[in-house]
Amino acid sequence: MEVQLELALSSGSGKGSDPNQDCDQRKKRSFEEAFMGVKKKDVDDLHETLPLLIWDGNEEKKQQFDGELLEQKHIPKLAISNNREDNFVVVGWPPVKSWRRQFCHQISHRECTTNYVNVENNGGGGGGGRGSNSMYVKVKMEGVGITRKLNLSVHRSYHSLTAKLIAMFGICEENVEKYKLTYQDKEGHWLLARDVPWETFIHSVQRLKLQKMATTFYS
Amino acid sequence: MAYSFPEEVLEHVFSFLSSDKDRNAVSLVCKSWYEIERWCRRRIFVGNCYAVSPGEAAFRGFQPRAGGLGRLRVPVDRGDVGAYPLLEEIKLKRMVVTDECLELISKSFKNFKVLVLSSCEGFTTDGLASIAANCRHLRELDLRESEVEDLSGHWLSHFPDNCTSLVSLNMSCLGSEVSFSALERLVARSPNLRTLRLNRAVPLEKLANLIRRAPQLVELGTGAYSAEIRSDILLNLTEAFSACKQLKGLSGFWDVVPAYLPAMYSVCSGITSLNLSYATIQSFDLVKLVTQCRNLQRLWVLDYIEDSGLEALASSCKDLQELRVFPSDPFGAEPNVSLTEQGLVSVSEGCPKLQSVLYFCRQMSNAALISIAKNRPKMVRFRLCIIEPRAPDYLTLEPLDAGFGAIVENCKELRRLSLSGLLTDRVFKYIGTHAKKLEMLSIAFAGDSDLGLHHVLSGCESLRKLEIRDCPFGDKALLANAAKLETMRSLWMSSCSVSYGACKLLGQKMPTLNVEVIDERGPPDSRPDSCPVERLYVYRMVAGRRVDMPGFVWTMDDEDSGLRFS
Repeated sequence: MEVQLELALSSGSGKGSDPNQDCDQRKKRSFEEAFMGVKKKDVDDLHETLPLLIWDGNEEKKQQFDGELLEQKHIPKLAISNNREDNFVVVGWPPVKSWRRQFCHQISHRECTTNYVNVENNGGGGGGGRGSNSMYVKVKMEGVGITRKLNLSVHRSYHSLTAKLIAMFGICEENVEKYKLTYQDKEGHWLLARDVPWETFIHSVQRLKLQKMATTFYS
Repeated sequence: MAYSFPEEVLEHVFSFLSSDKDRNAVSLVCKSWYEIERWCRRRIFVGNCYAVSPGEAAFRGFQPRAGGLGRLRVPVDRGDVGAYPLLEEIKLKRMVVTDECLELISKSFKNFKVLVLSSCEGFTTDGLASIAANCRHLRELDLRESEVEDLSGHWLSHFPDNCTSLVSLNMSCLGSEVSFSALERLVARSPNLRTLRLNRAVPLEKLANLIRRAPQLVELGTGAYSAEIRSDILLNLTEAFSACKQLKGLSGFWDVVPAYLPAMYSVCSGITSLNLSYATIQSFDLVKLVTQCRNLQRLWVLDYIEDSGLEALASSCKDLQELRVFPSDPFGAEPNVSLTEQGLVSVSEGCPKLQSVLYFCRQMSNAALISIAKNRPKMVRFRLCIIEPRAPDYLTLEPLDAGFGAIVENCKELRRLSLSGLLTDRVFKYIGTHAKKLEMLSIAFAGDSDLGLHHVLSGCESLRKLEIRDCPFGDKALLANAAKLETMRSLWMSSCSVSYGACKLLGQKMPTLNVEVIDERGPPDSRPDSCPVERLYVYRMVAGRRVDMPGFVWTMDDEDSGLRFS
């Protein structure tokens, strides 16, 4: 089993080929940049300095403790990735114990198998980037022409989902109050997202819509 | 020496020594003291098997894992079980242990009481069956984080009916289901059972039955904490928990269904240690539980707790000493939860006894670190992992030198530090200047030059363990501080700029050190001396060079050839 680690870089390395990929990070300014004047340093040059190592899943067994970097003694093979989309991956970082790594992998796997949502795309079939860890849904904001796509599997709370939506659509602070988050469930009904617990929401959501408060509830 | 006491007298004197450190010191005085000491030694702790030639390490069947670490404090006779007739305890860390070995232990030591295998591997549940079956006085069986080949759950049924001595059982790392009735009977006939850590396969519906049989439990690790929501299960569980008046520690909590958390509320006020690091539940539910535990001293939790949850923790748990926040999605490109530096700052503000921190997050600022440092000058362990390598202060985009500098300057009792984020040589200057009590330091993707390493090696007087990866540290600092390495337990450097030539030189200059080059590209002398090595491991030698190294490890020794193969 080949496990590929990706850097947590904001430029979204390694997923370039995926048409569903949220590439707004690269192209659009984030909410903070647009509305708070914070400049993001171009972190692309960091790619150059990091080692190019692919991590074979078997090596995982010898990984280190969280916080203890280097008690693993088994050395991963120095190899070039077959996957052309791959940029640089860092082995053994962050320093998480192997069983915790597996546990995290299980979390995202479980999310995928129970919540897998088939997202339409242009003949591509199937959803998210690497296939197993994503849960992309369409998001429409009232008044905005283009429908976006969002990976729900990375979110664990309404708080983080909302923050993501605000950033994605560039909603400024005073306008945040003017929109309600609604979702379409498996039966096709449109419901108010915050009316239900997160668990219920995430298990039934098919698509999202940010609706202006003044409009009628059901479209 | 002119002085000599009769052996019996020495033996009697030594029997008062309980600390491993003292025992170790005694056994190194002279041969006769060594012999006498081992006769009455009751415990063996093997933490770093590099320190002693592994051929001698313990008994037949104990093989230090190739490249594994362990601390063997007392040399053990080769293959001679009779060397330690009174042996009662064996604690091993990161070693390969076979079923044959476990069987040997179980049959050889009549008084054997304690077996702790921490992050070990190489054995199966058959080995556990031997221990269960043969160790009549077994008190403690702790398999923490070991990788056990799980052939079946039947091993537990091997505990004989007259085994009533169990005090502690930790089987949380096992995968397969044990016979529940055997487990129940074992628990029922162990009146001294204080610690019970179940594995995930023990279902929640049955947990109440177990707890009911052991109301004296002090530490409980649940199995999977989920079941379909039924009021009878909830009621049962609530009643069972309420009878556990002595419960202080809780762990387990795989697959939590929040509806069942209230079952534990009655014991929360007594809880001092809570490990929720597998509980994949929302901040809201975590907070409800955690804020009930007013006497909490230690909390391990996933980053689902978020900043808001940590703020609630800071308001409720004023006795908190240790906080560990683990990442739920360490390899995701984007944050999946709202956990930032702010959460840690809140806890540092609200919890006056906070002294030990392990925190994974995705952003940090100098301001936050300075705040934390000023809030908690009594910090002893501070391990920060900013997930993105070389991440700068997200507000100012500067390196985090000032922040970590404040930590070492204010926290004068700091013994352990792990760095992350964007760091220059300057942070190492601060560390060398201020971190006088620092014993263990972990560094990754940091520094600009050898000067960084030099500051640490020349300034940190108490340094024992140093581990470094992916830093531009090289020959100059290493060789200039060679003598320092003799005062340390170990130095580990991987993907740095230390050349093979320097390793050879170090090995030649320092005969009391083991200098090992670990390189999978093949023998280092097939490459130029100036070529950097993949990994370097240097440690104090206690009993001569290793001879059993795997094929990718080479020792630099003091012979002219400069290289000895395993």
